[in-house]
Amino acid sequence: MKPLNLITGETVGILLFFIGLYGLMTKKTIVKTIMSMSIMEAGIYLFYITINFSPDTVPPIGQSREAAFADPVPSALMITAIVIGIGVTAIGLTMFMHYKQQHGITHWSRNRNQQGSEH
Amino acid sequence: MARQSNRYIHILRIVLAVVGAAVMLFVYLNHSEKLNTPLMDFFTDDFLAQTGADNAVAAIYLNYRVFDTLFEALMLMVSVMEVINVSWANKHADRYQFEEDDMYYKNNSELVARMVGIVYPFVILLGLYIIANGHVSPGGGFQGGAILATALISRYLVYPNFDLDLHIIEKMEKILFLFIVLTPVLYVFMQIQPDNTVISHQVYMVFMNTLIGLKVFSGLSIIFYRFVFYEGADNTFIDR
Repeated sequence: MKPLNLITGETVGILLFFIGLYGLMTKKTIVKTIMSMSIMEAGIYLFYITINFSPDTVPPIGQSREAAFADPVPSALMITAIVIGIGVTAIGLTMFMHYKQQHGITHWSRNRNQQGSEH
Repeated sequence: MARQSNRYIHILRIVLAVVGAAVMLFVYLNHSEKLNTPLMDFFTDDFLAQTGADNAVAAIYLNYRVFDTLFEALMLMVSVMEVINVSWANKHADRYQFEEDDMYYKNNSELVARMVGIVYPFVILLGLYIIANGHVSPGGGFQGGAILATALISRYLVYPNFDLDLHIIEKMEKILFLFIVLTPVLYVFMQIQPDNTVISHQVYMVFMNTLIGLKVFSGLSIIFYRFVFYEGADNTFIDR
């Protein structure tokens, strides 16, 4: 198994997902946690749109098939997933801004919050 | 003591992430099996005659699985409502005064302003092209709507004054969502189609792509402008 053939979309997607999971578990700032969730979602998109891909397929457009069609189903599902990722990030960031204005917190732990949380 | 247990917990998290990735990669590389693809065979069998779209992805998200698209449009509208209503500045800020209309760049770079001024008609044209041709070539409503939103975001780079009335865009988004729900329910679920569906399929595809494109454009623009003008660092609040 040549090492360069291992770098497919699925393996990179799995790696991105676990890098995002590590960031989600360990970061002490709230904004970095939200960014880590975005990275996890990017890994999932990459994994799904690489499923069932072989290099000798043509795009599924038009009716003249020179070769087999590439799979359109995971791409169509990931269109929905990307828009949902936008929504989740926007909602998370708005909640963070609300907490910051009301309580003055920007870190998860109590000892590191901003000194003098007037804005 | 707390610091040492924090160190152990930190090492545990690293180990968890690394072991999880290793297990997933091992299982994927060694034990993945290839199954049949009944969905792909059904969708790519005869999609031009059944749905009127040359693009199989557009046939899937506008005709075969249009139920997912309805809920995705709903999800975008709910996130816009949340951005407006959950923000602290909604109840606790001064009422935003619309700034008067003087064309000075307000410390923005003049180079960026002039170049964006040259480029933005082409961005709008590209966005409308991708929306209108979504059923024939790669593209569609969501992609073209995001490109149109880029044109409105680049307006902020040129002219960072707040003179847009966001209520009009909000109302437009809600009316567009009503039509996005109404059209597939009448056309696809209840099958109110004319007998010769060659032209009506194309009209349905272009109409749905346009509605979805405008809705995504409105949603993303509202989210961007609410973040920039209401959550900025130099707001003055009445009380905490």
